[in-house]
Amino acid sequence: MPDTSRTAISIQALKKKYKQVEALRGVDLQIPTGEFFGLLGPNGAGKTTLIKSIVGLVRATSGTLRVFDYDVQRDYLKAKAMIGLSPQEPNIDRYFTVRRTLEFQGGYYGLSRKERRRRATELMEQFGIADKENDEYWKLSGGLQKRVLIARALLTSPKILILDEPTAGVDVEQRHELWHHLKNLNKDGTTILLTTHYIDEAEELCNRVAIMNRGQIVEMGEPKTLIRKYCQEQTKVYPGSLEEVFLKVTGKSIHEDQSLKNGKD
Amino acid sequence: MEKINFRGFLTLVEREYYRFFRLAVQTIFPPIITTLLFILIFGYSLGEKIQTINNLPYILYILPGLAAMGVISNSFSNSSTSLFMARMDRSIENILAAPLSHLQIVGSFVIGGVTRGLVVGLTTLIVAKVMTPLTFSSLLGTLLSLVLISVTFSSLGIIAALWSEDWDHLATFTNFVITPFLYLGGVFYSITMLPPFWQKVSYFNPIWYLVDDFRRQVLGIGDLPAWQSQLVLWALALSTFLMAVRLFQKGWKLIH
Ligand SMILES: Nc1ncnc2c1ncn2[C@@H]1O[C@H](COP(=O)(O)OP(=O)(O)OP(=O)(O)O)[C@@H](O)[C@H]1O
Ligand SMILES: [Mg+2]
Repeated sequence: MPDTSRTAISIQALKKKYKQVEALRGVDLQIPTGEFFGLLGPNGAGKTTLIKSIVGLVRATSGTLRVFDYDVQRDYLKAKAMIGLSPQEPNIDRYFTVRRTLEFQGGYYGLSRKERRRRATELMEQFGIADKENDEYWKLSGGLQKRVLIARALLTSPKILILDEPTAGVDVEQRHELWHHLKNLNKDGTTILLTTHYIDEAEELCNRVAIMNRGQIVEMGEPKTLIRKYCQEQTKVYPGSLEEVFLKVTGKSIHEDQSLKNGKD
Repeated sequence: MEKINFRGFLTLVEREYYRFFRLAVQTIFPPIITTLLFILIFGYSLGEKIQTINNLPYILYILPGLAAMGVISNSFSNSSTSLFMARMDRSIENILAAPLSHLQIVGSFVIGGVTRGLVVGLTTLIVAKVMTPLTFSSLLGTLLSLVLISVTFSSLGIIAALWSEDWDHLATFTNFVITPFLYLGGVFYSITMLPPFWQKVSYFNPIWYLVDDFRRQVLGIGDLPAWQSQLVLWALALSTFLMAVRLFQKGWKLIH
């Protein structure tokens, strides 16, 4: 259960301008401790930019960003120590094996040698990659690579887990296994921030979601509430879905997508 | 008092060493071979036809320069390759997202480069000591000079790796900056052998001061007053290192 008295991530009036692109145009967001929060939005909406500013890989143009009361610019060491990140694009040493990848991560965050080894073994087992421990990361299949990225984010038992499209390119079975895993982590108190293009995933997992479009949060709330708000004609047969909300809020329709596809032919 | 993430720093250093020891054979044997070849060519054949410099046989005169040359190119290539690879596979982003200070990150790259430089420099000197009547003027001074030269070029390697957008850029930096300065840096000659114009030009070559200091520490002779080359050596090591840290703090080419 989210603890609304303590804020895990607090973002105020955050703006980010790359050379030409205004990627974030004033984002306000409070994520309480223990919440499972989903960030939705079409390609280029600014989800990754927002996440990268939280971990200090993007420097915001203006606004404030705090992680458990630590300013991510001023108290950057303390803020970063709280977070485990599984990035959208892999960022793993080319010649590292799976085990080395995990153990070094523990080292960067100050875990003892013994603790690193124990956690690495534990997580490889949990994620079904124990038999790959001596394989080089870059030689694994895409789905396994994703698992390594997530396991690495979890290695340091972070208070805040940030997952940027953890299930992109992952098969259905693995996806459901990951969902199960994430639910348990969240139950045990880990705050989770997740981005995904699978709206059903967000509906299944998240306490709250924000829908971003062109650098702004255009709608935010509990999936159920949003569905009630946007899907008027809900009946027992057709209860409405978060996907429908998403399309309405971002000004797209399934029909439009269809015509886009036709146009390409 | 804030707790410093010392384990994190050691892990960064371990990461450098891991990369480096995979290349151990490529690091230790080339300087041995080069040194032996130079001793063969300049010691036994050509050397006798070239005048002595400061009353020293030519081969003895160039040996420190040879060692410095190996130190310079190896410490530079070690840190530049390591950081550039980390930019290519994005592993540098993972390190930047971890609770590690910029000083720690830059420090680890520099320690990697210094270690590689020391291995090459000492290997050269040991081979030279075994094969020729080389004696050291100041062992401690020699070591300190080796370390400072490596710090300078490891830091430059970091700056070059940040500046470069692809491998060709990095090669350009080596071919057009490091190599010419190195060959015109008094490795193979004393400045007194140059025409007056080129003597003046040498004063603008930072590498010349480094080689001169190193030669003085090893052989006890040099072209410049000791304090001048010392001053330049310290100034270069400090300024390049601080510059590399500063660029990381600013996130130049690292943070958007
Ligand atoms: N380093 C960069 N330099 C310039 N523009 C950038 C950079 N990174 C992102 N952008 C731009 O910022 C905008 C937001 O990109 P971002 O990656 O945050 O979107 P996203 O919501 O994560 O998209 P996706 O769902 O495709 O991952 C896009 O227009 C993108 O082109
Ligand atoms: Mg993204």
